[in-house]
Amino acid sequence: MSKQFSSQELEEIIRRYRPVVGFSVKKALGPNYPDWEDVVQDVLTQVITKLQTGEFRGECSLGTFIYTITKRRIVDCIRQKSKVKVEMTEVATSASGPEESLMKKERAELVSRALFKLKPKFREILYLYYYKELSREEVAARLGLSERQVSERLYYAQKVLSKVLRRFFPEKNSNFSSERRLKE
Amino acid sequence: MKRWARRIPMSKCRFEELIDGYLLNKLDSEEAERFEEHFFNCSRCFSRLQEREALIQAIKAQGPALVQGIEPSRPKVLSWAEDVWTKLALRPWILAPAAAALFLVVVLIFQPFTKEKMPTFVLNGDNVIRGQAVSLISPIIDVSTPPLFFEWKKQGENIEYKISVYNSQLLWTATTRETRIQIPEEIRQKMVPGERYSWQVKAYAANGVLIAVSSRVQFMIKPQQ
Repeated sequence: MSKQFSSQELEEIIRRYRPVVGFSVKKALGPNYPDWEDVVQDVLTQVITKLQTGEFRGECSLGTFIYTITKRRIVDCIRQKSKVKVEMTEVATSASGPEESLMKKERAELVSRALFKLKPKFREILYLYYYKELSREEVAARLGLSERQVSERLYYAQKVLSKVLRRFFPEKNSNFSSERRLKE
Repeated sequence: MKRWARRIPMSKCRFEELIDGYLLNKLDSEEAERFEEHFFNCSRCFSRLQEREALIQAIKAQGPALVQGIEPSRPKVLSWAEDVWTKLALRPWILAPAAAALFLVVVLIFQPFTKEKMPTFVLNGDNVIRGQAVSLISPIIDVSTPPLFFEWKKQGENIEYKISVYNSQLLWTATTRETRIQIPEEIRQKMVPGERYSWQVKAYAANGVLIAVSSRVQFMIKPQQ
């Protein structure tokens, strides 16, 4: 049985899923893809239309429903991308708003300050694991440590840096009002 | 409750382990798709994913500058101690049981010093001392013939033992560094069947301080049939 969504519920769904869809699109198409924001908008428009026309019948989760639409749109984009590859590489950065880039800049500064506050033994692991993209086994062999030590140091560093980053990425509670009402 | 309306658990999600692999493109396509579908449903994982992406971006931006001037080798002991500290910092809840265990160890170590465990001994009738016990080995029960040897347990290194054998009064006394002594024949001759004897060993440290005493053990030379 399908459910009619009020405009307020739809707004909340869009507010919640815009960053998720955006992340997924950027990851799949690359941050330099010129029209990634249009792709996101396109996905969200499709979501709203399908919700309004009752295509979502609760057979899967709302997240999975939106994921499927996003995935399909990304596949279309990748097909098109291969046709117009040359033009796209010309365009450098995406057009994010000044407020967003300011926040990104502040975030980057805070993280790099926190990174340099870490002891060298943590920094070298972060460097080898994330920059050099070595596996934990390879990092362990390189530094003469056990894999467990590498994992523990990595986890510790992630935990410390996560404290700096968390406020930029607050966890959105899943029990937002529209979902709560939809449970009935 | 419908699937899409379920609450997200507060405990660590098992998908969190896939975040690094996903961002570093180390997952196979099936795993990556499964994880993508998951973070569309789990706001906690999505939040962690964004955090980790920002972290990786910062690390990539710094590049080798991150490890400039780092000495590659450090003393092993220091590194071990630091790892213990890291473990504790990761699991602060361990601190409570660890502190309790440490307290218990301290108590157990110092307990022997807090209790007056040392037995008391009567030396010469009214002279009472408190000290460690020397364990006597033989003779400690009645014997059929006068003993040839007196033997006791070792008390430590560089110890001088003083043995005293009594009947109604002191019969014989001698010192040795061994834990066994042969009784001189002329004294042995004096020991007669049917009589009760007692003996005691005192242990002295190199500086002449009395450190241990045995209890005074009685034995009888059984009367000959």
